[in-house]
Amino acid sequence: MAEYELDCLGEACPIPLVKAEKKIEELAIGDILIVQIDHSCAMKNLPEWARKEGHNVEIEEVDDGEWEVIIEKTK
Amino acid sequence: MAREKKIEEYDVVIIGGGAGGLTAGIYAGRARLKTLLIEKALVGGLATYTNEIENYPGFPEGTTGLGLMNLFEKQAKKFGVKFKGTDVKSVDFTGETKIVETFRNIYKAKVVIVASGGRPRITGAEGEETFLFDKGISFCATCDAASNTGKDVLIIGSGDAAIEEGMFLTKFANKVYVSVIHDEGKMDCNEIAKAEALANPKMEFIWNTVVKRFEGEDHLTNVVLDNLKTKEEINIEVPTCFEFIGYLPNTEIFKEKITMTDRGYVVVNENKETNVEGVYAVGDVTDKFLKQVATAVGDGAIAGYAAEKFIAEDETYKSQILGKDGVVFVYDASEEGCRDCLAEVEKLEKDLEEHHCITRVDIYKSRGISDRMDINEVPRLAIVKGGQIVKVLDEDFDPEEVKSTLA
Repeated sequence: MAEYELDCLGEACPIPLVKAEKKIEELAIGDILIVQIDHSCAMKNLPEWARKEGHNVEIEEVDDGEWEVIIEKTK
Repeated sequence: MAREKKIEEYDVVIIGGGAGGLTAGIYAGRARLKTLLIEKALVGGLATYTNEIENYPGFPEGTTGLGLMNLFEKQAKKFGVKFKGTDVKSVDFTGETKIVETFRNIYKAKVVIVASGGRPRITGAEGEETFLFDKGISFCATCDAASNTGKDVLIIGSGDAAIEEGMFLTKFANKVYVSVIHDEGKMDCNEIAKAEALANPKMEFIWNTVVKRFEGEDHLTNVVLDNLKTKEEINIEVPTCFEFIGYLPNTEIFKEKITMTDRGYVVVNENKETNVEGVYAVGDVTDKFLKQVATAVGDGAIAGYAAEKFIAEDETYKSQILGKDGVVFVYDASEEGCRDCLAEVEKLEKDLEEHHCITRVDIYKSRGISDRMDINEVPRLAIVKGGQIVKVLDEDFDPEEVKSTLA
């Protein structure tokens, strides 16, 4: 199970979501995508979108106002 | 391949990191309870979707939802509350230890505080599912205002959120259409917002309408409205439609586990207790009159305090009541009958062997202990032997029976 990182630091909505959508298509089931964000708006739509798609999602706050959204592709 | 879930134990697990959950965390953390707060998205909850909060006391100049919630979070962290960013998959409230499961962990807790809030209601119109979130249907003006600079947008709804966010959008968009279900001039928002909105030249109201369908290829291009009076279709060309038509409680995972209303809101009493012992609920997820940051804060304070009391009483119950053989006298110090009985009990105390003590539980102060003992009437004498209540006697107790039971 491979792990991929997607650097979206400094990028505002909806760019992190659009990038994540494109990237996750390339992944195999069971792979992990780590999206790095620092715009709070992406913390709302990114996990919501991933869960709606049925993926597993976990968030790590790596620094004050900086997060990693960890998405495990399930289908 | 299912991986082994990691088990962690806490005094209090709070589900949801909005104003109510964060406040419960502040209280529980400050009471030195080992506290975990689980939030599935951005800490701060619904308040972070609002650009301006002008009615939360202490901020005469107003504040942003995000800014205010950041302060709440900071304060909770200061008191040692742990945060976990994930969603709860399932809960089990049947045992004394409550279980909260996420996709990688199992959390065991003495107390669970449900603060899961609500999510935006959707219209249910044709094509809606296809365009949710980044494909043209948004629930967050703060998030998607900038990308609509110079464009036309459509708002569905006429409540406070719809109109206030609509006003905010006029700073970016070329034109803000507002679809209102009511007759001309009738809106659900407050009068100040209404007057401002009607005077704003960038806002155009389309009365008596609801959404019929959403259209587009990969992304939304136009929304077809239905005029409820004339039945005519109105086509609005917009790349983004903002829906502000209320909220639904996030209570799916609690179905049949705690009592809810027909609409899915959790039923609580004034101490924020649900029907399940050790499970509390606060904020927008509860069936309440006013859903605001200020009221969620009040709920959170009550539940955080109640959790502390519950845990303390539980410990007392286990060590003081069941921890040794003897007699537990449950009474109400404000009742005369009980005071008379107390004299009898004191006589008995002298007669008992030294290692058999009498513990007094005054329900006038709190019913927490007597509820755990399942004693609803006073005065009562409970005989504890081997960590169990073996007999409950009333005021006409026979001292010999007490002695022989304990022997």
